[in-house]
Amino acid sequence: MEKLPYQKPYIKKLHAGAMNKFGTRTGVQPVKSIDGVSVKSLIENYGSPVFVLSEKQIRKNYRAAYRAFSTRYPKVQFAWSYKTNYLNAVCQIFHQEGSWAEVVSGFEYRKALGNGVPGNKIIFNGPGKSTADLQLAIDHDSLIHIDHFDELNQLLVLSKNLANKPRVAIRVNMDTGVYPLWDRFGFNYENGEAWSAISKITASGILHLTGLHCHIGTYMLSTDAYGIAANKLAELAVRCQTQLNHKVEYLDLGGGFPSTNTLKGAYLPGNDIVPTIDDFAEVITSALLNFGFANDDLPLLILESGRVLIDDAGYLLGTVIANKRLANGKGATIVDFGVNILFTSFWYEHQVSPAQDFVAHSENMVIYGPLCMNIDVIRESINLPQLNPGDQVVVHKVGAYNMTQWMQFITLRPAVVLIDEKLRTHLIRQNETLEYTAEPELIPAHLNNAK
Amino acid sequence: MKQIAAFIKPVLNSYSVLFFSQNRILGIILLLVSFLNPISGFAGLGCVIFSLLITKLLKQNSEDYRAGIYSFNSLLLGIAFGAFFQVNFMFVSWLLVACFMVVVTTIILSKRMGKPGLPILSLPFILVFWVVLLASNSIFNTGLLQKSSSLLQEIYTGPGNLAGAEGYLATSLPRLVSLFFRSLSAVLFQDHIIAGMLIAIGILIHSRIAFSLLIISFLTACGFNSITHIYPEGISYYHLGANLMMTAMAIGSFFTIASLRSYLLAVFCIPIGFVLINALTTLMALHALPIFSLPFCVLNISLLYFLILVGFQAKLQLTKVQYYSPEKNLYHVLNLQNRLNDLRYIRLSLPFMGYWTISQGYDGTITHKGEWGQALDFVITDDEQKTFQYPGTLPEHFYCFNKPVLACADGVVEQVVNHVDDNDIGEENLKENWGNTVVIRHTEGLYSKLSHLKKNSVKVKPGDTVKQGDLLGFCGNSGRSPEPHLHFQLQATPYIGSKTLSYPFAYYFNKKDNKSSLESYAVPQENELISNPEINVSLKKAFDLQPGFVAKLTAENGVTENWEVFKDTLNQSYIYSKTTGAVAYFINNGTMFYFTSYYGDKTSLLYYFYLAAYKVIFNDTAYIQANDEFPVPLTNNKILLWLQDFAAPFYRFISVKYKSGIQTKKTGLNIVSKQYQQLAGKTIPLAESTVFVDHGSLQAFVININGQHIEAQWSTEN
Repeated sequence: MEKLPYQKPYIKKLHAGAMNKFGTRTGVQPVKSIDGVSVKSLIENYGSPVFVLSEKQIRKNYRAAYRAFSTRYPKVQFAWSYKTNYLNAVCQIFHQEGSWAEVVSGFEYRKALGNGVPGNKIIFNGPGKSTADLQLAIDHDSLIHIDHFDELNQLLVLSKNLANKPRVAIRVNMDTGVYPLWDRFGFNYENGEAWSAISKITASGILHLTGLHCHIGTYMLSTDAYGIAANKLAELAVRCQTQLNHKVEYLDLGGGFPSTNTLKGAYLPGNDIVPTIDDFAEVITSALLNFGFANDDLPLLILESGRVLIDDAGYLLGTVIANKRLANGKGATIVDFGVNILFTSFWYEHQVSPAQDFVAHSENMVIYGPLCMNIDVIRESINLPQLNPGDQVVVHKVGAYNMTQWMQFITLRPAVVLIDEKLRTHLIRQNETLEYTAEPELIPAHLNNAK
Repeated sequence: MKQIAAFIKPVLNSYSVLFFSQNRILGIILLLVSFLNPISGFAGLGCVIFSLLITKLLKQNSEDYRAGIYSFNSLLLGIAFGAFFQVNFMFVSWLLVACFMVVVTTIILSKRMGKPGLPILSLPFILVFWVVLLASNSIFNTGLLQKSSSLLQEIYTGPGNLAGAEGYLATSLPRLVSLFFRSLSAVLFQDHIIAGMLIAIGILIHSRIAFSLLIISFLTACGFNSITHIYPEGISYYHLGANLMMTAMAIGSFFTIASLRSYLLAVFCIPIGFVLINALTTLMALHALPIFSLPFCVLNISLLYFLILVGFQAKLQLTKVQYYSPEKNLYHVLNLQNRLNDLRYIRLSLPFMGYWTISQGYDGTITHKGEWGQALDFVITDDEQKTFQYPGTLPEHFYCFNKPVLACADGVVEQVVNHVDDNDIGEENLKENWGNTVVIRHTEGLYSKLSHLKKNSVKVKPGDTVKQGDLLGFCGNSGRSPEPHLHFQLQATPYIGSKTLSYPFAYYFNKKDNKSSLESYAVPQENELISNPEINVSLKKAFDLQPGFVAKLTAENGVTENWEVFKDTLNQSYIYSKTTGAVAYFINNGTMFYFTSYYGDKTSLLYYFYLAAYKVIFNDTAYIQANDEFPVPLTNNKILLWLQDFAAPFYRFISVKYKSGIQTKKTGLNIVSKQYQQLAGKTIPLAESTVFVDHGSLQAFVININGQHIEAQWSTEN
């Protein structure tokens, strides 16, 4: 007979609620493998914690999203939002699928070049472009999305006496009925700032206004806002054509589509309330198709989705370090990954699954990270079966932003592993070492005692 | 000076067109040969110039004028005058009168016979010369003195300074060979072996195919006569040359595209020629008139009329565009057969956006049967080949449901059904089999029908004009449709329920293993994943060469060329190099740009551009390649080419292929192409070229050909 697993004694508060047919089950299922590769072997081979990305899921997400748009609109182009996850291997998957690159800094811009993206397929967004960055983008014939008049003026200075006009677009912010209003990026639509920027560019004669861009928000839960944004951009494009006799080649609706993560404070889980990519596609494309462009003269529709394409393809595997009971009697589990590498735990109530079989009973608990900082809380409240030290857990939907916003703080950043479509695992980022973090440091001679 | 130069061309053409050519060398040879009898030579040349002046004054069709069509009958008249009459004062005046009559007859006949597409051949000459002969033989004194037959004989065998060589050749050459050359000279009313030899060389330079037909017909005629003994003394060299051999050459390679069947037809003309020669000789003997090349005219015109009336025959094609060279005619037809689908079909695009899968193709196993077999059913599938999202119990769960359905080509809406309910999944509405449907009329006898649309989703009504790609409605689940799909068919009649018609889509992408390939003028097969071609706007814009587009090209060595784009009366676009006079015809159908033909100087920059950008697909995906074949072999190896020409009507062993792909570079797009020759299974590279495109315009091109490196920049454009 198999030895039964040890179960700690526990005290459970008795709830006098209505009975239900599901009994006391929480619905938590063990997640023992990712894409068929066992969690155990992944941790064994690559250490704990470790980020795991599924190439299959990334491609599936991309194709589903592209299908949603391309079967509703004839000219669609995706641009991979580098800031969401700019591990080179990840970017290459998107570029292989046909994505351009959407970057927001000189650093990201050079990264995209390094990934072999041709200059004219790089979209350069963001409010903080240096003169050198702009010059680089001009030299590579990239699409420069202008954020403010100072940048426009700087571009006008840089573009004097060029054989080929640099291709630019302006970023437009607008009221789409969603609050808070994002008005810190780009030129405002309602107060005419956007139009004066457009007029200034076309009148200059040395910049080529190729497109119009907007990015109305992030984690948008309303599709209507995109319909309003598409209409306002299309209106600007038509006004460009009729009043300035200038044809705008593309409309860039930005990104902001939500993944199915549950936002903190949300009443219902993300799966239930988040519109699908098809819903967004329907609203955006029908707004453009119905706007009145001739069908062979429709502007190219560019989308800069990040999160929705990769969030659910990323997993964080970790190990339980210890259990505790807090002063108020609530259970607490300490795991070996903290908010420094799971940055999104500030925004989301991440789903955490045990990676091995467990006993049926579950209890509400806090999950703490390993940092000696009060803020290091992964989940403030989660129903999980009891976990023993050494047990492994899987955090779901962590593909977006974590691998770019993580920081080396107290601990080192872990390895990132990619499972390809043939279920082979590839190390795509090594775990950091002390030497790596020490490398850029310099010690003045008078402080150097470690001879 | 320029005018004289412009005059020399029609003069020489008047000579070479006797052998259906515009070859200058052949023209010069014939001109020289005609002077073997100096009187004939002068008379002929005089008549050509006289008639060219008249037609020029009359401002007749300048193309025919340049080709010598209006003047070659006068040439024959002049040569015949010189051969038949003694020179005196009346000779010159009657020659001018007769020449004028020939011009008048030529214009009457060519305008009348040109309507059904028939040639005049030497009819004007024959008619006018009969009139002259009848007049001079009449009892009234015209002043024209016919040479006595002995005199004729003397001139023909000629004691002149050629006699030695001629006599030597006559004895040393085999009888058949000398007969062959004499027959050729008969076309110029001569009987010279040397004249025949020169003409033979000229024809060989002009066309290998024509030359081979001359030999074949000559041997056939002699062989036929030696078996049948129709002429116990042998066929007259005149009839051999001017009638039998000329007929075979004309019908076998000039009026038809040279092929096995055209050769058989040419051979079959020989016995018919025999009958005609005998019959017409008997008929005209009543009036003591020679029949000249009348059998040739009758036979050619009647056979040609017959071929026109029976209509298009794939294996025996009439020459539609005349290049005055059997080789050129043949190579162009062969090339265009595979390339010019754009002119043959209406350009249909797929009636949807993005990639869809064909769930049932032509003659499918479910419902596409019998007379309704040529139909396509489309659905959208995901990577797992599923057509729906979990759980798939409602039409809305299916990927294709509520997706836009588009017009496949311009047309007028004929019929609309818009009221049929969408079925539940798994249900079929057999009562309203086709469900919500739109029928569009594209042209006479070509209608497209789209069925099973969503209820009340149709945006058009009967009588509406739609453009290709216009939104018609949305994909639904009405009619005989257990799950949402789009039914598409073409039909010859406007009714819902009409039987189907097989018709290809112009261009579409076929995706396999996540790689797309461009299919052109094909019918997609079941389970294929297809979409309309994805077009690179920059490339498309760069090759959007509208009439009036001008460009100045500067080569590395400082040579410049000015180009302009024009459209001809047949609505075909071409680039004209004002500097070199070269012309390159092209087609831009929105999916690709390709050249259809090139005429002119092969050192022109336009020629190199023609080679470099022979076919460009407007898509920058690295693995998509344009493959094509050049019409005329590009090689410099003349011997090989001539061998190919001889064999061409039956078998082509040299082919010159073209391959191009797009490379995305830091500074725009590079169209990288290779030209290579395939000979007996071996691939020999001929040239390599790159066209540079940036900012939606052509920037430059380089080509390495025959050890030469040529580089040219577009320096100005509009």
